[in-house]
Amino acid sequence: MPRRAHQQTSPSLWLVAAIVLIVLAGAGAFFFQKENNPYRTVEILKPSDYLENANSLRGNTYQVEGVISSSLGSSPEKGRLFSLRISYADKEWPLPILVPRDYRELNLQKGQRYRLKVRVNDGGLLEAEEMSKS
Amino acid sequence: MFWSFFRVAFAAHRGFSWDVLSLESVELTVPSAEAPLLSGITLHLPGGHFGAIVGPSGCGKSTLLKTIAGILPHTSGTIRWRGRNLDEIDLDPHELGYVPQFTCAQPRLTVGENLTYAARLRRDGDAGVIRAEVDRVEEEAGLTHLHDRRAGVLSGGQLRRLGLAMELTTNPSLLLADEVTSGLDPKSEEEITALLASLARQPGRLVLLVTHSLRFLDQYDSVTVLTEGRLAYGAHPSGLASYFNVSTPEDVYPVLGDRATSAWAEEWISSPAELGFEIEATVDDLASELTTQEEPKASVPGFLSQALTWFSRRVKLFARDRTQVFLQMALLLVFPVVVTLFAYQGLPAVRNMTMNPDTDVVQQLRESLAFTVQSSRIGTLVSGLAMFQVILLALMGSNNSAREVVGERVILEKEKLAGLRPGAALAGMAAFLSLLVLVQSAWMTLFVRAVCQFPGDLGGQFLPFLLLTAAMTSLCLAISSWAATSEQASLGSLYLVGFQLPLSGAILALPDFLGWIIRPVISAYWAWSGYLQTLKDTRFYDLVRAITETPLANGQMATWILTLHLGLGLFLAYLGIRRSDWR
Repeated sequence: MPRRAHQQTSPSLWLVAAIVLIVLAGAGAFFFQKENNPYRTVEILKPSDYLENANSLRGNTYQVEGVISSSLGSSPEKGRLFSLRISYADKEWPLPILVPRDYRELNLQKGQRYRLKVRVNDGGLLEAEEMSKS
Repeated sequence: MFWSFFRVAFAAHRGFSWDVLSLESVELTVPSAEAPLLSGITLHLPGGHFGAIVGPSGCGKSTLLKTIAGILPHTSGTIRWRGRNLDEIDLDPHELGYVPQFTCAQPRLTVGENLTYAARLRRDGDAGVIRAEVDRVEEEAGLTHLHDRRAGVLSGGQLRRLGLAMELTTNPSLLLADEVTSGLDPKSEEEITALLASLARQPGRLVLLVTHSLRFLDQYDSVTVLTEGRLAYGAHPSGLASYFNVSTPEDVYPVLGDRATSAWAEEWISSPAELGFEIEATVDDLASELTTQEEPKASVPGFLSQALTWFSRRVKLFARDRTQVFLQMALLLVFPVVVTLFAYQGLPAVRNMTMNPDTDVVQQLRESLAFTVQSSRIGTLVSGLAMFQVILLALMGSNNSAREVVGERVILEKEKLAGLRPGAALAGMAAFLSLLVLVQSAWMTLFVRAVCQFPGDLGGQFLPFLLLTAAMTSLCLAISSWAATSEQASLGSLYLVGFQLPLSGAILALPDFLGWIIRPVISAYWAWSGYLQTLKDTRFYDLVRAITETPLANGQMATWILTLHLGLGLFLAYLGIRRSDWR
């Protein structure tokens, strides 16, 4: 047994420490990366399916993420219609998004990126139910 | 002959070893030296004894003392203390007092404070007990009249007394003094030697002094002469001159060179020389030895007590170091001001693009160009301000701890030998450094936010900065605990900070695969990301994202990784503090 005045660190301790560190970092990455997306349990909208036949998706809820490119119209009763540019399968797709008139939580600006939970309404339009900046 | 018979008979009868310290064929070899540093050292020394270890420079005197203390591990042979093999059961911290050549006293503390902190780190007891102990050792070492004097203004002799007194706070039964009389004027040398001789009169105590000087031989009970790591003589000083066939003891050193080292060693081994101790004294010592062993010893204080003592001593030392206080204050005040120079009128307003789809193409292109220019300018500013704060906090973190351990390594080793737990020392350091980290990160966050009018959650912005400063402080503490010199520690810490900016990806994005490998270890990246995430609900966040290709980590991930960096730094610092490094 080494004497008290001559303490050294055993290589096995280094190995254990390195393994613990890697496990902790990996576990943290696994756990916290998942937390990043509040709509992770919602299916991602395939724009090709939507543009091909929007009516077939009526009543379903999806998540989309994209940048607002322009305002397409506005109605005091229904809300504002935006064009959202999303990336999917290495392509850019424009999607019409209706933001209800009573939505007040976010200040929507052109060029900003948002993540949305949308529902395909009876007219086949994508209506925002929840939104967050991404 | 009578004495030899007595020793053997007594040991057989009582199962008791008379020699409190016995070395049997102790050898010490190191890979870097061809010849062993110590070879065939056999010594038997009783309690109540004052022994000198002498010899010419480089003969292994200090090496032998360090081997007995356990600082240098002997490669073969046995060292026993009161009959027990020290390789199996080491000396209790309270059994050993080791006074090195260097001073362990803090120059900015008074004699009384040095002794009080030494006592509080080494022995349990309330304030009254500690005060009484300090009074006792001050009186024993003749330091009572110097109680309030700063150690930094003491003379060489007074400093050696203080070093001895610090060891006496635990009332050790083995007191090892390494060249504590070297470099002193003759009067001080005589006083220190006399003091050691008087300390050796305590029942059961063995005092060993390493010295080059052969003056005051009459003070010693035995003299051990070493030459090139071999034992040439080990007996009463009265026989020294006659053994070496010289007229005065001072002539012994020149004579040692006349014959081969092995010849001296073999002659001593085959010599029938008696130890020459006085029988009356040894019988008295034997009685007192038995008494001493029954005395209850004070215990080492608890972890928390040691940590608090280390912390309070560190705070006091910091408060008395005006240069350090000034430097810290200067960094604290100047660094945030430097950051705000780039946006002292506040962050600029962000102009939005019109959403009207009817705008003509030229107008849209103009708008788009203006927005791109704005993105570049404001995004760069916001990202830069965030990273600037991060880098300056990292610098402050590095400055906090780069010399914290390495600058006081020998004192730390001494305190560990006297019973200080490495974890308690680390806890004390961490508590002190936490104060600096807290003030630095809070002030940087508040000042820059107020002047530049950063939007976003204040707590969310403070957290990554707090963790970054703490992580850099702990990592530099680790560097400090593993570095061989202060310069090495400073350079290592500087490199650590210096690589943060280019590798963070804030200025130039790393290639994807490199980013995945490098970013996890770059604290600045996580603090920068964590800070920018607090701006997520603002346009500034989009502008930053528009100008950087480096992905921004989310706040939780940034907090987690920075916490890991902090933990890693503390863990490495613990191992670095725990290992022995006597230089």
